[in-house]
Amino acid sequence: MSDPVALELREHFATVEQQRGTADTGMWVFLMTELMMFGGLFVAYTVYRFNHPQAFAEGSASMDIMLGSVNSAILLTSSLTMGFAELSAKLGRQRLLGILLLVTILIGLAFLGIKFTEYVEHYQQHEAPGVWFNRSGPHAPAVQMFFVFYFIMTGLHAVHMIIGIFLILGLISRNMIGSLSAAYHTPVSIVGLYWHFVDIVWIFLYAIFYLPGLHK
Amino acid sequence: MIEAVAEKLEKNYLNEKQGLLSWLLSTDHKRIGILYTFSITCFFFLGGFFALLMRLELLSPRNWLVSAGTYNKLFTMHGIIMVWFFLIPSIPGTLGNFLIPMMVGAKDVAFPKLNLLSWYIFMLGGTVTVYALIRGGVDTGWTFYTPFSTSYSTTYVVAAAVGVFIAGFSTILTALNFVVTIHRMRAPGLTWFKLPVFIWSMYANSLVLILNTPVLAITLVMIAVERIAKVGIFDPALGGDPVLFQHMFWFYSHPAVYTMVLPGMAVISEIIPVFSRKPLFGYKAVAFSSVAIAVLGFLVWGHHMFVAGESVYSALTFSFFSYCVAVPSAIKVFNWTATMHKGSISWDTPMLYAIGFIGLFTIGGMTGLFLAALGLDVHVHDTYFVIAHFHYIMVGGTVMAFLGGVHYWWPKISGKMYPEGLARLSALIVFLGFNLTFFPQFVLGFLGMPRRYAAYPEEFQMLHVLSTAGATILGVGYVLPLCYLLWSWNHGRDAGPNPWRAPGLEWKSTSPPPTHNFEVTPVVTSKLPYDFEAMKEELELV
Amino acid sequence: MSAPTWKTYLFTYLGLLGLLLVNTLIAFLNLGGFGTVIEIGLATIMACLVAGVLMHGFYQMRLIQIIIAGGVIWFLIMMSLTMNDYFTRGWLPFHEG
Repeated sequence: MSDPVALELREHFATVEQQRGTADTGMWVFLMTELMMFGGLFVAYTVYRFNHPQAFAEGSASMDIMLGSVNSAILLTSSLTMGFAELSAKLGRQRLLGILLLVTILIGLAFLGIKFTEYVEHYQQHEAPGVWFNRSGPHAPAVQMFFVFYFIMTGLHAVHMIIGIFLILGLISRNMIGSLSAAYHTPVSIVGLYWHFVDIVWIFLYAIFYLPGLHK
Repeated sequence: MIEAVAEKLEKNYLNEKQGLLSWLLSTDHKRIGILYTFSITCFFFLGGFFALLMRLELLSPRNWLVSAGTYNKLFTMHGIIMVWFFLIPSIPGTLGNFLIPMMVGAKDVAFPKLNLLSWYIFMLGGTVTVYALIRGGVDTGWTFYTPFSTSYSTTYVVAAAVGVFIAGFSTILTALNFVVTIHRMRAPGLTWFKLPVFIWSMYANSLVLILNTPVLAITLVMIAVERIAKVGIFDPALGGDPVLFQHMFWFYSHPAVYTMVLPGMAVISEIIPVFSRKPLFGYKAVAFSSVAIAVLGFLVWGHHMFVAGESVYSALTFSFFSYCVAVPSAIKVFNWTATMHKGSISWDTPMLYAIGFIGLFTIGGMTGLFLAALGLDVHVHDTYFVIAHFHYIMVGGTVMAFLGGVHYWWPKISGKMYPEGLARLSALIVFLGFNLTFFPQFVLGFLGMPRRYAAYPEEFQMLHVLSTAGATILGVGYVLPLCYLLWSWNHGRDAGPNPWRAPGLEWKSTSPPPTHNFEVTPVVTSKLPYDFEAMKEELELV
Repeated sequence: MSAPTWKTYLFTYLGLLGLLLVNTLIAFLNLGGFGTVIEIGLATIMACLVAGVLMHGFYQMRLIQIIIAGGVIWFLIMMSLTMNDYFTRGWLPFHEG
């Protein structure tokens, strides 16, 4: 069996260390672009919440805090299992790595399932924006704006989760054919960075959508 | 110990692997640079074609060639194609890709496969945009202002937005590649302050693109969502604010214009020292000014919105920072001029373009200061004064720098020399045509001619006719290099490794270079970049 | 700093769960504008834990720490200069724009 390190060293790099550091740098730069992209939405949300505080509080009061907080805990757990997966990869424990990656995916799917349930709930309560929106009250138009942002931002987050799940599936396949090892496990840490970042986005989404209306 | 560079290699990056597929699947940064050159040239002439139609229409005060609705589509498509499919990708995609690894002494960029993917994503974005064009075009202006773009326009807004969105990914990936390459792949001994200023400017440029493009992406998504799902994100009926769209759009688009000029400045900083036979004056000042432009460029976007409804205090803040950002640009102009002072100037084509850049960019930049003054902006906002301002920078600046760079590095890229006499003539034609096209537009704008109008009062006709005449001459000036450069690819005389006797790692390789850039990874021992003294000895030894 | 271990991750996770609980409970109190500060503040601490420990931010090379700081600063620039407009609208006694 040939040296897995030499197999994976791309020819324009001098050492594995240079290559690994480069991959980390590249992923972090990419994550900063994600920060700016989600950031644009956070700025727009902030503007509208500043302009319409009561409407946004009203919208937030309609959120299901049980589902929301449980979902947040679930997502944090998936970050834990992903972190454990990275440690397994570093130790070369391929079976454990495979199991932890699979568990991470399952937890991620659970998160998406709950999210979907919430979406359906909102739709049934006539809170989905556009033609489906039907609420009364003095702040109703801006309440719709709250839900516009809720659906766009959590929707974009969900898209990123789905991409993350596919990335982890990719890791599982690579692990199963034996191309990951203690010497070369860079893909696991890179996907891990992505997964944790998507978790961070959720932490802030939870804070801005679920918490503001709780004290009503 | 200086090793002699071979005159020409049998196998180089151009002929080592042959066949169309070897080009379309190549991860060699030099071949990818050529793929980009092909693409952006096509887009340039497409965008230029729309400009030509507009200038023809403007010969007469009444609509004669096209209807008002079609005219709206013309200036929109001209803007979209020129901004996103020519100006932003041109120098980074072509010269950046080709030169950055060579200038840092690397064999390729950090992520070569990602580099090729970038080009494909760029082409996909271009295809979607051309699709929108063929289906009937867009009429919102390249700025996509709401609520017209979201609620009232009946043209292919979403398709165009998707095309630009896709192209944005290409930009981000290329910029990411450059940043990581410059940080992680430098040859031994090549510290930051020994890097060519081209690298500093391209680095700063890449940082800008990484930070601003995602905001464009999300803004376009919001327009598309609003249009498709009819949820009024920027609709006042829902408590929305159209000015918020402008904030988000210009947060991207103002730094974007710096991403069009910084690569141009990168090229100029390389050309001026070589054709003055003097090291660049104030290397650190020029290097840091690139970073300063990148940073300050993010703080000024509201100067596009002085009359749109932003608060007066906000306008004051943006006006103040707009004055600040002129300073690093001025530093560059002073340093380039000081480089030429008491230098030994040669008037080769790259130098002609570079000197033209300095003059025209200065005019464009100074008129930017006029626009940054709140009171004056009220008078000239949305007039031809603005159009003249940004064309002086983007055409008088970036396009001239692009042409200068292409001519300067043509021998390295193709291994051939272009015909110098014809090239100098073309540069002159470009310069004259440009000024005749755009100087009258300053006057037009000041007199009150609004932008984006096809019909206008009779008294403006003379100036419009002059401008159109200039555009025709300018067009000739652009077609000529296309012809003679292509001709020289096969019929030009062999250039040799360093026809300009320039310092810099890229000139220490053959022309054209081998696929892996250098036979042996160079080790940098000289104390300075642009070390013409050391160059003199080196050239005498060879 | 040495690389994180299983225990480091576990304790970080428990800390995150704790902060989640605290943030949620505090949100039930009516603290006005200060409530928003706490919500975002605690979320920020949670984000720092994820970025610093789980993403190895605390252990990474200086270059990456600068990259992270740069991204955050740029987001803050976008936020503050945009809000600068909305905060100051209506500050003058006459109609603006």
